[in-house]
Amino acid sequence: MLAEKYAARIDQIFSKYPTKRSAVMPLLHLAQEEFGYVNEEAIQQVAVLCDMDPTQVQSIAGFYTMYSERPKGKYWLQVCTDLACALRGADKFHKELKEHLGVEEGGTTEDGLFTVEHVMCLAACDKAPMLQCNFHFEENLDMDKMKARIEAWRAEAAAEKSGAKKASAKTKA
Amino acid sequence: MKTMNIIYREKDIPNIREYDVYVANGGYDALKKALGQKPTEVIDTVKASNLRGRGGAGFPTGVKWSFIPQSEPIKYVVVNCDESETGTFKDRQIIENNPHQLIEGALIAAYAIQATAVYIYLRGEFWDQAFDLDARIEEARKGGMVGKNIAGSGYNCEVYTHVGAGAYICGEESALLESLEGKLGQPRVRPPFPANKGGGLYGEPTVINNVETLANVPWIITNGPDAFKKIGTEQSAGTKIFCVSGNVEKPANYEVPMGTTIRELLFDLAGGISGGRQIKALLPSGGSGPIIRINGNDDPILDTPCTYEDIAAKTGSILGSASFIVIDETVDITWVASKVTKFFKHESCGKCTPCREGTYWLDKTLDRIMRGEAKESDVDLIANVARNMQGVTLCALGDFAANPIIHTIKNFPEDFKSHIGAAKTPAAPKTAAAAGD
Amino acid sequence: MVTAMTKLVKVIIDDREYDFPAGMNLVDAAKQVDVTIPVFCYHPKMKPVGMCRMCLVEVGNIQKDRATGEVLLDDSGNPQIRWMPKLQTACTMNVSDGLVLRSTSKAVDEARRNVVEFLLTSHPLDCPICDKGGECPLQNQTMEYGPGESRMNFEDKKHLDKHVPLGDLIFLDEERCIQCGRCVRFQAEVAGDDVLAFHERGRDLQIITVSDPGFDTYFSGNTTDICPVGALTTTDFRFGARPWEMNSVPTLCNHCPVGCNTSASTRLDRDFGGKTMIKRIMARQNEQVNEIWMCDKGRFGHHFTRSEDRLLQPMVRAAGGSLSRETWADAVAAAAKLLGDANGSVAVIAGPSATNEDLFTLKQLAAGVGSTRLGAWPPTHAGADLVAKVGVGKGTNLSNLGKGDAVLVIATDLEEEAPIWRLRVKTAHDRGAYVVVANARKTRMDDFADAVTMYQTGHAATAFADLRKQHPEVAERLINANNLVVFAGAEGLTLDGSRALMQACANFLIETNHVGRANNGLVGVFPGANAMGQHYLGFSPEATRDIIANPPKVLILAQADVVADDPAAAAWLSKVETVISLSLFDDEATRQAKVVLPVQSFAERDGSYTNGERRVQRFYTAQGPIGEAIPAWQAVARIAEKLGQGKARLSAAQVMNDIVAAIPAFAGCKYSDLAKVEAQFPQVGGDDLYYGGTSYKNTGGLGVQIASAADNGEAVALGDVKADAVKGDLIVVPTVRLYNRERVFQASEAQLMAARVAAPYVEINAEDAARLAIHDGDMVQVSAGAAQPVKVRAHVNGAAPKGTVLLPRNLQQTATALTIAAGTVTKV
Ligand SMILES: Cc1cc2nc3c(=O)[nH]c(=O)nc-3n(C[C@H](O)[C@H](O)[C@H](O)COP(=O)(O)O)c2cc1C
Ligand code: SF4
Ligand code: FES
Repeated sequence: MLAEKYAARIDQIFSKYPTKRSAVMPLLHLAQEEFGYVNEEAIQQVAVLCDMDPTQVQSIAGFYTMYSERPKGKYWLQVCTDLACALRGADKFHKELKEHLGVEEGGTTEDGLFTVEHVMCLAACDKAPMLQCNFHFEENLDMDKMKARIEAWRAEAAAEKSGAKKASAKTKA
Repeated sequence: MKTMNIIYREKDIPNIREYDVYVANGGYDALKKALGQKPTEVIDTVKASNLRGRGGAGFPTGVKWSFIPQSEPIKYVVVNCDESETGTFKDRQIIENNPHQLIEGALIAAYAIQATAVYIYLRGEFWDQAFDLDARIEEARKGGMVGKNIAGSGYNCEVYTHVGAGAYICGEESALLESLEGKLGQPRVRPPFPANKGGGLYGEPTVINNVETLANVPWIITNGPDAFKKIGTEQSAGTKIFCVSGNVEKPANYEVPMGTTIRELLFDLAGGISGGRQIKALLPSGGSGPIIRINGNDDPILDTPCTYEDIAAKTGSILGSASFIVIDETVDITWVASKVTKFFKHESCGKCTPCREGTYWLDKTLDRIMRGEAKESDVDLIANVARNMQGVTLCALGDFAANPIIHTIKNFPEDFKSHIGAAKTPAAPKTAAAAGD
Repeated sequence: MVTAMTKLVKVIIDDREYDFPAGMNLVDAAKQVDVTIPVFCYHPKMKPVGMCRMCLVEVGNIQKDRATGEVLLDDSGNPQIRWMPKLQTACTMNVSDGLVLRSTSKAVDEARRNVVEFLLTSHPLDCPICDKGGECPLQNQTMEYGPGESRMNFEDKKHLDKHVPLGDLIFLDEERCIQCGRCVRFQAEVAGDDVLAFHERGRDLQIITVSDPGFDTYFSGNTTDICPVGALTTTDFRFGARPWEMNSVPTLCNHCPVGCNTSASTRLDRDFGGKTMIKRIMARQNEQVNEIWMCDKGRFGHHFTRSEDRLLQPMVRAAGGSLSRETWADAVAAAAKLLGDANGSVAVIAGPSATNEDLFTLKQLAAGVGSTRLGAWPPTHAGADLVAKVGVGKGTNLSNLGKGDAVLVIATDLEEEAPIWRLRVKTAHDRGAYVVVANARKTRMDDFADAVTMYQTGHAATAFADLRKQHPEVAERLINANNLVVFAGAEGLTLDGSRALMQACANFLIETNHVGRANNGLVGVFPGANAMGQHYLGFSPEATRDIIANPPKVLILAQADVVADDPAAAAWLSKVETVISLSLFDDEATRQAKVVLPVQSFAERDGSYTNGERRVQRFYTAQGPIGEAIPAWQAVARIAEKLGQGKARLSAAQVMNDIVAAIPAFAGCKYSDLAKVEAQFPQVGGDDLYYGGTSYKNTGGLGVQIASAADNGEAVALGDVKADAVKGDLIVVPTVRLYNRERVFQASEAQLMAARVAAPYVEINAEDAARLAIHDGDMVQVSAGAAQPVKVRAHVNGAAPKGTVLLPRNLQQTATALTIAAGTVTKV
């Protein structure tokens, strides 16, 4: 249960706002972090916390693109292919990245590690091509750099699997 | 050509992002000075400076503050850091490198309208930045600049961050408020306006300002309105940050006095067009403003001063948020139109009919044009559909979505024509830099 | 809406000047002077959202000199008008002084054409197979304002799911939805149950629900009336018939005291032997009663009228004991003989759906054989006589309650017992009325209250009498309210306890001067459709109690299913020598009767009811006859005729004439009076369905409200409040669920509704459960008073107060306690 596991953080989130409902977005972020995506469990728990009907919570989850209602790879790679980045080769980069990982748009690698999709402008147009991995920016990329990053992530995942190290999850209080 | 760093002070003072460094360089003095004045005096100063909103609409900031009914007990300042317009990345640099100046500016605004709290709404992708901003707010709190009894003045004001979750429309101020209240980011019916009782955050009178707008405020308080007015022009006072991206050698943010010419920006600062090619077009206000046709690097239109008034009068476009997307001669403008339309189709909130249906229709038809399956009349059709979206939507996004279509077709008809009957037209630009698949 | 106090403002619409109350919505204002501004998303009962953009108009302001306030004139002497540069959505504007509106112009026409064209880019244009075809605002407005043809490439259209069940009762066709949000807003704003929402965004925007249960509220059907396209349809009616094949017959809902005006859509149907059949029931507008809403029980419950266990022929019990079919003449003769031989030892018990005409004829018949023993069934709620004295004043309209007014709801679960009252009190609350809910337990109504006060089970009357002491701030608000309406039920009360509560309510209203005025007074939340009719025509629950205690020789049961309701009925019925049953169904009472007379349901006949607000309303024959069933009043009149009491009347209208002549309260209630209509706002149905929705315009009559004694200026005296409560370690409180195992839900065709009925359960407080070693979900045996024990599932969920268990009635075939009693619960 989020309520117990993250009691202090949830209290801190609620303390910002005069209404419970305002906390729905931060709590959905938290729930997504916990469950990997916004699943039914996440919706139910956030609904209870915010005193909202689950339908209203689902509605929020559906409107905002950073909430995923489907499972994603451990590394969720979102390549900006919007105009400014595309003028600097982002479409090509995106295509090569998918080829390199052997996935279709929005698909996840068989090992469950990587999901690749394109997104709209991420406010990093001067550093194209770029992407965000689990909402951390990776900028001024090319395929060589990218291949190295991918190897590093693979290694990180493998190490974690053998229990060596905890994942670097996105975190925001 | 010289830049002038009122906002990007990190360029002159390393580590100004740290509270101590900021304070050592005069940081929070403006807040203290403001706290010693009457709130109305602060508003008058900002009014006198001619500062205009940097979020796109260019509304006079002091005038906006003066709309707030002082008698209401609860009021808010909301900082718009949604920054999602294609080609815009200036606010991010402020919160990353000079965050205290934003916090200070927001608090001055808060004091001026006697707000009870400040909310900084950041686009969801600014996750790390929001986390860092929280730490900066705590620094300022420790320094006595945030929270109870600010700088011993007796004035109390909290500053909170709130992260969105991926929705361009939340940059639109009323959608932003909805989102902050935990609802769908869909624009509200106005009136009531945010400044009115019933129209703002939680129904309370609210000032919403862009990050860059507020980051100007401490300088204005410290140096006085006249000093600010001396920079730039009468109607466009101060410096402005230009986000230059696309086909230039050195894409980046450049802070320069208003009135700097397009040529100075693109060639002196941004290093000229990529690969020494010729410029073909410029989107001066990201994806949403009208596209400017530029016939190569010698076109005199490049000598237009970058001010609200000159860009409007001489290019038929708008300065907006000053997100300069540069497009070179190799790029197919139909492809540009299609890219931008995909953006707006993706970002339309769906609340009102013309925008929801119009963006979908435009996108579908543009896809057919790009595939070479369209008739010439389809180009007229999308121009007409776009015109039918103008002026009738609930918020400006509908107009934003119509602009690129109308103006790309008007300014680059040959690019559209080249797709008609061409069975296998490449679906991407011909440029090396932009080549996708 | 328009009160004398509202300031009037001058507005020019299409070159004509009008006065409107300041602040009125511009679309509504135009509508009131017959200027149509087409809308899709706007609905006059909900807040504007400006989504669809169909209502774009040209708006300007008359220019005035700032200094003098004089209207500035142009060269030709006309007022100068400053037009707004852009078209404005009329639905998001209110009238203000000097406002000028142009409802048509080139720009306006073009904008409308464009909006319709935009809407059609996604629309499947499947009108020929759409349930809404023929009564669809989108279809109509496309004809009127739309472009000749769509320029959208058909292949580019979005293909979406066309059969999405939102709940068991409502289906969504995603392709047809135009994202107007009316359904979402109805649920959130009007019903107060936000189980619908938009999902995704842009063109992907869709209606969803993930609530549990889904879109399955008591009010869900209303969304199908206000959906401006065929996106929402009822499971019951989808593909049932085309609107233009049907006739609409004004009728009434007969399930609860609200008395919703409804309309039956009928047609000749093969499935019903080629006779006229009800295909659907929809709300019929009566702004004072149900506005344009109704609940799903009324909407979907009509199948019972065609149930397989409807009685088809009269029957008489032979000497040997078995019932045999007889002609009406023989059955009537048999009944007359039994009554004639009874020596005056006759009594009548009439059920809650017997009409005024039935009750009057029964009363006459009884009088003719020397009896005045007229019992009302079920004998649970007292005080109809007090409602007749201090009931809500003539002209009451709950929609007028708002700021400065108050509503008290006591001893009732209003949502379950009278759903539309719950809905209307909720919206009164939203308009600013101060709503107090007082009960011995939590109810759903609490969510829409400003104050919730709890009292100990059974102590409603004393709690009320003590309100000023216990909750002075609450009492203060009620006392000082401009208008005060009290809804009083009888949950957790004995019959005497109920009387005590009603008396306490009456006293309070009298003392605080909230009687004899519109929008003030007492409403009894009585069972069934005609409890007030029972009162005015001489039937009372106290008489029923007496009949049970002192059984007559001959008892007439008129649509009173006593065995199904009362666990003690079998015992007391056995003491009656002869039962004559007038019934729709082959029910338990029938099985004990000597003479069984099949009577018609509301669907097959004319008649009238008197609702809880004392409004006499009539309904019309909607459906073809079933078997040989006749209206109850007719059966009774034939017996009376046989007994030489005079000729049977030929029509219900004639019976009403007799009632008007005999019963002073009914003066002014002739059928022709009841049929009178006047213009109502907002306009609905017909040409106006784009605006108010497809609920029906009222052509059948608005009814006539009987004046209360206080209305007539009679001084009403205070009465003694005799408290009465049941003692015991554990008290069993019967509660009412809207969806239950009444015949309405059992009818074979109504599986839809049968599935909505909860499995039998009892609610127990956690402490009591712990003491009795009962866990949530255990099967338990509940016994109360003299009733047979029943086995039900225990719900340990905090709904029941300590020392009390809540046992919903009619969730199972065997009757459970009819009134509160001490009892036990044991695990089995
Ligand atoms: C669709 C849309 C998107 C917008 N996005 C932003 C944004 O990302 N950041 C911003 O500051 N203003 C944005 N605006 C403008 C805001 O609505 C608002 O005018 C601005 O925040 C006011 O601040 P200012 O007066 O300081 O410019 C947007 C407007 C529209 C219509
Ligand atoms: S289902 Fe009907 S009422 Fe609901 S949003 Fe769609 S069109 Fe409107
Ligand atoms: S926008 Fe006014 S009716 Fe829909």
